[in-house]
Amino acid sequence: MVKVKICAGSHCSLVGALNILETLEELQEEYPDQIQIEKVECLDKCEDIKKAPVVKVDDELITSAQNQIVISKVMERIK
Amino acid sequence: MSKLKGIYTDIVKIRRMVFAELAGLALKDAECEEFDKIPYRIIDTEEATYRSSIFKERAIVAARVRMGLGMDYETNQEHKLLSEGIRDFLNNDNQLTEPLVNVIRFACEKCPTNAHFVTNNCRKCLAHPCSIVCPVDAVSIEEHAAVIDQEKCINCGKCKEACPYEAIVNYERPCAAACGVDAIESDDYNRARINQNKCVSCGQCIIACPFGAIADKSMIYQLLKSINRGEDVRAIIAPSFVGQFGPLVSAEKIVAALKKLGMKEVREVSLGADFASLHEAELFAEDVPEQQSYIGTSCCPSWTYIADKHVPETRENISDSSSPMIFAAQSVKENNQDSKVVFIGPCVSKKLEALSEKVKDEVDFVITFEELAAIFVAADIELTKVEAEEEISDASYYGRAYANAGGVAEAIRQNLKEKYEIDPPITKADGLADCKKTLTKAKAGVLEGHLIEGMACEGGCVGGPGTLLATNRGAKNVSKFAEQSPYKFAFENDKLNDRD
Repeated sequence: MVKVKICAGSHCSLVGALNILETLEELQEEYPDQIQIEKVECLDKCEDIKKAPVVKVDDELITSAQNQIVISKVMERIK
Repeated sequence: MSKLKGIYTDIVKIRRMVFAELAGLALKDAECEEFDKIPYRIIDTEEATYRSSIFKERAIVAARVRMGLGMDYETNQEHKLLSEGIRDFLNNDNQLTEPLVNVIRFACEKCPTNAHFVTNNCRKCLAHPCSIVCPVDAVSIEEHAAVIDQEKCINCGKCKEACPYEAIVNYERPCAAACGVDAIESDDYNRARINQNKCVSCGQCIIACPFGAIADKSMIYQLLKSINRGEDVRAIIAPSFVGQFGPLVSAEKIVAALKKLGMKEVREVSLGADFASLHEAELFAEDVPEQQSYIGTSCCPSWTYIADKHVPETRENISDSSSPMIFAAQSVKENNQDSKVVFIGPCVSKKLEALSEKVKDEVDFVITFEELAAIFVAADIELTKVEAEEEISDASYYGRAYANAGGVAEAIRQNLKEKYEIDPPITKADGLADCKKTLTKAKAGVLEGHLIEGMACEGGCVGGPGTLLATNRGAKNVSKFAEQSPYKFAFENDKLNDRD
């Protein structure tokens, strides 16, 4: 089970977190038993907006997260 | 719908960063010189990331800054510091004027206009059906591949359909493909040019351009300055707002955050939708079919501009009822005459509606959800941590459902059924091209007795260019929020009794 925490705070939502969440949820439909998504309040890691969005895949913190990077990290762990 | 709608790209990122920078400077009451630094803060690399040079990248950001302040697009033919132009503008009228949607000409990459090309998928096959099906003999088989003579080609697409290797592509300008009213033309340099006589300011081309070369103007700066001056600013927020600021940010939190930003009051525009649906039902019951053979809804400004500019014969059948925005603004100003009203919505063309003679005294500012999200960041308001105070319950189920395609007509129909025992045939026009087609049908007389709903954005307001959420997600949130309304029908809404 891959646990993904995705920040849904103001900064992260502005710069793409909502779209990463969408893709993750679509992926979760394909692998319902292997992905757990938790939307969390600001993780306080984005003091500079350039570090947003912030996503945690298991224990790995990803700043300036991009869709393709988050998804590939999740897929690596599913395989 | 443009393929880019709902995808977060670097174009979206830059656009939002510009909004956040503008909001930050407005909130700080910064000097004009500060604006010169924005392009450097946003493009802070040493080498170009997106274009031929960082200088061009920064010049494009500067053009975005200008339009973000509401200023006209300027060519780069004259030497003028960004801050100088800004000072002149802010010292003078500082109001946004038409044209609202503009091509940043030097950012346009001159995509080929509608043309068929043979790609290297071509195997120069023996059958070569491409050349056989061509009605104008434009396809010849050359040394390595099929070649289309662009002079002869009429873009019928037959060769593309016939090719067994999918080797022929139809190359269309994404901006022009998104424009259902054919307002995108080419200038002398073959760059996209918007024909303002045709443009209905819906903003779909802004989303569609993969080079980020089209932008609209904003009122972020003017709004925040007004709040800074201590003016009594009150917000009305469009029905599609639910969930736009993230899954953890409830409608109540958005209201609380707006108050934290300095708004004295926040109302749902859905309240205005309840007024509007009752008014439009009344007009329909009175006028159709005796005075008017059909009625079109009036809430979508781009839809009404399509009637104005493209099918003027239908214009007088578009209801003259005020839009939900106007009703909502009036309900605020009635009791607070000196207040300023900001409409917050998914819509680009509402910015233009607010400039019109009829509306300019009712609505003072229009900003989009996307612009507001940037303002929250600039103001350091963390939405997930704002304490929600009161519940909002301004509108009925059907008023709240106005934001989804079909919702407007359904609300009016419910009123007609209940109050006038009329159940009219309904035609729904969804998207720009469909709107134009529907109006053309109406003009031809085939929609007699119909209630016609026009939505320039596909999916309705939730598909607007100023949204942050994908259209289908926005639609789901709107429906869920509508379910929570204390009233089902507009005529059950107690809040309407205050005025008649």
